[in-house]
Formats: sequence, structure tokens, C-alpha cells
Amino acid sequence: MAKKILIVDDDPDLVEAVSMILESKNYDVAAAYGGIEGLQKAKSENPDLIVLDVMMPDKDGYAVCKELKADSQLSKIPVLLLTAVVSKISTTRYTQQMGMETEADDYIDKPVEPEVLVKRIEALLSK
Amino acid sequence: MRSGPSGLEDMKLRACRRISYLLPQAKRSSNEVLLIGEDMPDPINILVVDDEQIMRDGSSRILSKDGWEVLTADNGQQGLEIIRNQPDQIDVILLDLMMPGMSGMEVLDHIRSIDPNLLVIVITGYATVESAVEAMKKGAYDFIPKPFTPDQLRIVVRRALDKRNLQKEAEFLRREREKSLRDIATEKSKIKTIINCMGDGVLVCDRDGYIVLTNPAAGRMLKVSETSLIGNFLSQCNLDPELSMTIEESLKSKDLNYTSVSQELGIGESGETFLRAHTAPVRSDLGETMGSVTVLQDISHLKELDKMKSEFIAMVAHELRAPIAAVEQQLNVILNRVAGDLTEKQEKLLVRAKERTKGLLNLIKDLLDLSKIEAGRMVQYKEPLTLQEIIQKVVDLMRVEAENKKIDLQFPIPSQNPLIHADRTSMEGIFTNLISNAIKYTPEGGKVWVSLSEERGFAKALVSDTGIGIKKDDLPRIFDKFYRVRTIETRQIVGTGLGLSIVKSIVDAHLGSISVESEEGGGTTFTVLLPKESNPTS
Repeated sequence: MAKKILIVDDDPDLVEAVSMILESKNYDVAAAYGGIEGLQKAKSENPDLIVLDVMMPDKDGYAVCKELKADSQLSKIPVLLLTAVVSKISTTRYTQQMGMETEADDYIDKPVEPEVLVKRIEALLSK
Repeated sequence: MRSGPSGLEDMKLRACRRISYLLPQAKRSSNEVLLIGEDMPDPINILVVDDEQIMRDGSSRILSKDGWEVLTADNGQQGLEIIRNQPDQIDVILLDLMMPGMSGMEVLDHIRSIDPNLLVIVITGYATVESAVEAMKKGAYDFIPKPFTPDQLRIVVRRALDKRNLQKEAEFLRREREKSLRDIATEKSKIKTIINCMGDGVLVCDRDGYIVLTNPAAGRMLKVSETSLIGNFLSQCNLDPELSMTIEESLKSKDLNYTSVSQELGIGESGETFLRAHTAPVRSDLGETMGSVTVLQDISHLKELDKMKSEFIAMVAHELRAPIAAVEQQLNVILNRVAGDLTEKQEKLLVRAKERTKGLLNLIKDLLDLSKIEAGRMVQYKEPLTLQEIIQKVVDLMRVEAENKKIDLQFPIPSQNPLIHADRTSMEGIFTNLISNAIKYTPEGGKVWVSLSEERGFAKALVSDTGIGIKKDDLPRIFDKFYRVRTIETRQIVGTGLGLSIVKSIVDAHLGSISVESEEGGGTTFTVLLPKESNPTS
């Protein structure tokens, strides 16, 4: 059975592009266009992995990630954070790398090369 | 002795007549007063007060011959009137003691009360020594008994004029002295007013470090009261320690090349006021340090503007980045044939398009880095690190890029491993930038090598290449924002023109320095100096 991946990003173009990459690798794809919707779909869609954007207007990726990890049912779902740019300028990449701001399982810079994205997802799913 | 109302008018007229025999200058008597600092000497005026017309006319004639001007009055009242009207103009007064109406003695008293310095020669009608002595006691300068010869008159008048000369000279010198004293006082008060009105703060120390002059602006800027500054020793004034140190250094400096130091200070508990301080030693002719002068400028508003500018850039960059990232993501999908097959021509065009979006994203990233540094947010996590570890990591990351271009990238293990106090990400940024530049601007088959050593309290890192080098004209500007060297060789190289300015900002924020040596076609070497962790002066 194909694994299901939830993509959470407020930019529909990005959601579409990432979906196409994942669909070409035969993943099932679900999409959410904001942080709050993302949390709902994380529960309803029961995904195997979540690709989560950081900068979203209603609820940012850090907050979504925190709530996911705090939820005993959802905390096992691996989260791949898409860090286009850090949300606050003062938060340097350094703090992210040190895992000070996020409990995400991995992070990846946007835009991403399709092979890199697929490799990272495979790695997280095989854990 | 005549009197009577009928002749009075006539006499008055004549008395006021000014008998003037102005001679050409060359013929003027050598006795004439030559005042210091004046081109044209004042004419000498002699007043003759006598009721006898013969005496008046005779004296006028004799004295006019010598080039003096003679005024006459036929009674005491008239004489006094003339003196009152022009007290400074009369040099010598010839006064008859025996006159009808107001007596000579009385006139003498009045003259003395008008101006005690006026020189009065009394004419004694009959040679009585008593009246002459009495007149002298009353303050007459000299006396001449009637009758007298023209020569006797001249001698007496001349002597009086000599005395008058001395008087005038003394007066002139006294006024000059008073004036220069006044000038000095005015100058002092002028300078004090200027300094007090200045918007910039002024702080002057003597050679021992006591504050001898300051102004309200300085107190305001340094957030201490002006009165607690003047007359106090530097270290007692609770000044910013960095500033005190700079002033003390400038006082101690024996090096004549040490001219002035500029520094930025954050004043106030949360550093809300930013000052720029210029400190310079004051030296005597012999090169001895006599004290120091510090001028303070409040640059808080500039800093504020700078911050706003940086934040604006950051905002714009963020807004730009998202759509460009989306476009590149879409290009990635198409290029990966996820959305179907591509012809060779389509692929070629899309590859170029992706290079352009990559360039844009890099520019935005650099802009963000720069605005972060300028907003003081980039270099925030200083910790002790070894540069060797940082450089090794960057070199390892760059190895693939170097191998792709067949460039020999080397970083020999250094014999010294200096510890510095720095922000790790920023340090990685510096060396990523410098090494990636070296690879970019070095043709295939070239060499890039990095070395690390210690030098006088600094960690010294060199990044050298055998690349295309930099023209002399371009060298001074390569650290400027958006400056890129434009040549045929560099046209194909993607860059933002911000990399080196970011590197410099980081080095500056760590109190280090960066310099470059290069020859066109002969390779380039960048030298980075960063203060060592244990460096006490850093």
C-alpha cells in the first residue's frame, strides 16, 4: 500500500509542485493550505509523513510541529520542515540547526531538488 | 582792561575765530605730536585766554608760526566754554591771571575740574612770584611772566607740548592695553559660548587625565551632569569605560603618528543612545602630549534609520523570496520530467531559467544576511572556537565544487591552532564566501590553498588562489556593497556583489580586519585577522 504524505503550505503553487514530485514516486498525497487546516488533516487523513512549511499566516510551521509532537496520537508521524526563510530574522539558521526552535525530524531548504526531497522522505519513512 | 556790553558781541566773535595757519606737512614742527598707530597727527591746538587783545594777537602770531593752531578767548567764561566744547582738542592753555570778571585763578580751578590733565601755563601780569606759586599749587603746569619775548613763549609752550605728548602716548598705551585685555576676555567668553551652544559634546582633558573643559551637550550625551565632569579625574566621572580607555591611551601615546581615534559607544542601560567619539591628543610644539580633546556626536537617529532600512530590506527580501522559490520549485518539477517529457531545447532554456532564479535567490539571501548584520542580529552567539575546525568543515564542503573544476584545494594542518571568540555561523560564512570565490575565479587546473597561523594576538587566516586576480583599480572597492568586477572572464560567473561586503561586516563585528593582495592574472590572497580569545586588548 502506498504511503500517504500530507503537504502543508499556504502557497498552492508549491503544494502542487511538491505533490507532482511525490505522486510521480507513487505516494498518496493530501494537501492543506494553512497551519490550522494542516493540524486537522493530520488527524483526519492519518498520513505517514508530513511536509510542513514554516512561514504560514494563520499558524506557522514551528507552532504546528509543536502541537503535533505534543499530541500522543500524532507525535510518531515524522515531520519534514520546509524552511524557505526563517520566520524571524533574529532566528538564525544556527538556532535551527541546533534544534533550539523546532522538534521537526528533518528540515530542508526551499526550493528543493526533487531527488533530494525524495531521498529525505525515504530516509524518514524507513526509520 | 575793557569791558562793557557794547563791545562784548564783537569780542566774542573774535574770540571764537579760529586762527588757523595750517602749514604743509613737510614744514611742520618736529615738536608735533606723532601718535602711535595714526597716520595723520592731530593738529596742535593752543588756547589763549587773555583780556588784552595785544596779548591775544601777539601770542597767536608767534605760536602760529610754529604751525600750531591758536584759539583765543577774551575772558574766562569764553575760555571755559571752548574747553568744555572740545576738551580733547585743546593741548595747552595760556591763561592770564588778571582778568576782569572771572579771575584767572577761578578759571584754573574750573579747568582742573573739567580735566585735571589739561596743561595750563599761567601768564602773570606783574612779576609776582606769589601768584605764580599759588597757580602752580592749584595745578598749573608752568608760568610765564609778562612781558615775555617770542622765544620765551615758545620755550614754555614747547615744554608743555612735550609733556602733552608723553601724556597722550601714555593714554594711548593705557587704552591699547585695556582693549587687548578686553579682547582676550571677549575671546574667552566667545569660545565658551560657542562650545556651550554646540550640539556636539566636547571633553578636554589635561595631561594628567583631569577634565578641564566640557559643555552641556557632553553631559547630556554621556548621561552625567556637567558639574560632575569638570575638575574631576577621568576615572571618577563614571564615563563609558571604552571612552575612558581611549582617552587614556591618547594621553599616553608617544607615537606622533597617533592622531585621532573614532569609536562608537552605546550609552545608557539598554544602550539606547549611540555616540560617535573622536579623540585626539593635543601636542605642544615639541611633540609633548599636553592633553586630549574628545568630540562626541549623537548618532542614535542615524542608527535608528539604519535599522529601519535594514528591516525594510529584510521585509522586501522575504516578500520577494517566496514567489521566486515557488517558480524555481516548479522549474525543478518540470526539469525532473515529473510533468512530462522535455525536448532538448526546452530543457536548455529551463536550465538557464533556473540559473537565473538561483541567482535571484542568492541575492536575496545575501541581502537578508547583510540586513541581519547591520541590524546587529547576525553576530549574536559568540563562543570560543578554533578556526581550524571551521575552515576544515568549509574546505570539506567545498571539495566537490573544487574537484568539479579540477582545482587543487588544500588546507595543510596548521602548527598553531588559535582559539577565537566568535559566532560559528558567521565564521563559516566568511570562509565559505572566500573559498568559494577563490574557486569561482580560478580557471580549471588551478590551485586554492588556505593556511592558518598566529600573529601578535591574532589568528591569521590566508585564502590564496592562482586565479585571474583583481585589477589595481578594482582593489579598493571590492568590499563595497554590490560592487562586482566586470571583465570578460567574470561575465559568466554568477554573483551578487554582496559576498565580500558581508565578509567584511562580519570581520568588523568581530573586531578583526581583512585585507587583499592581488595582481591581475597573478592570483589573489585574502588575509583575515581575528583577535584571539585570550587577547587582553580585544
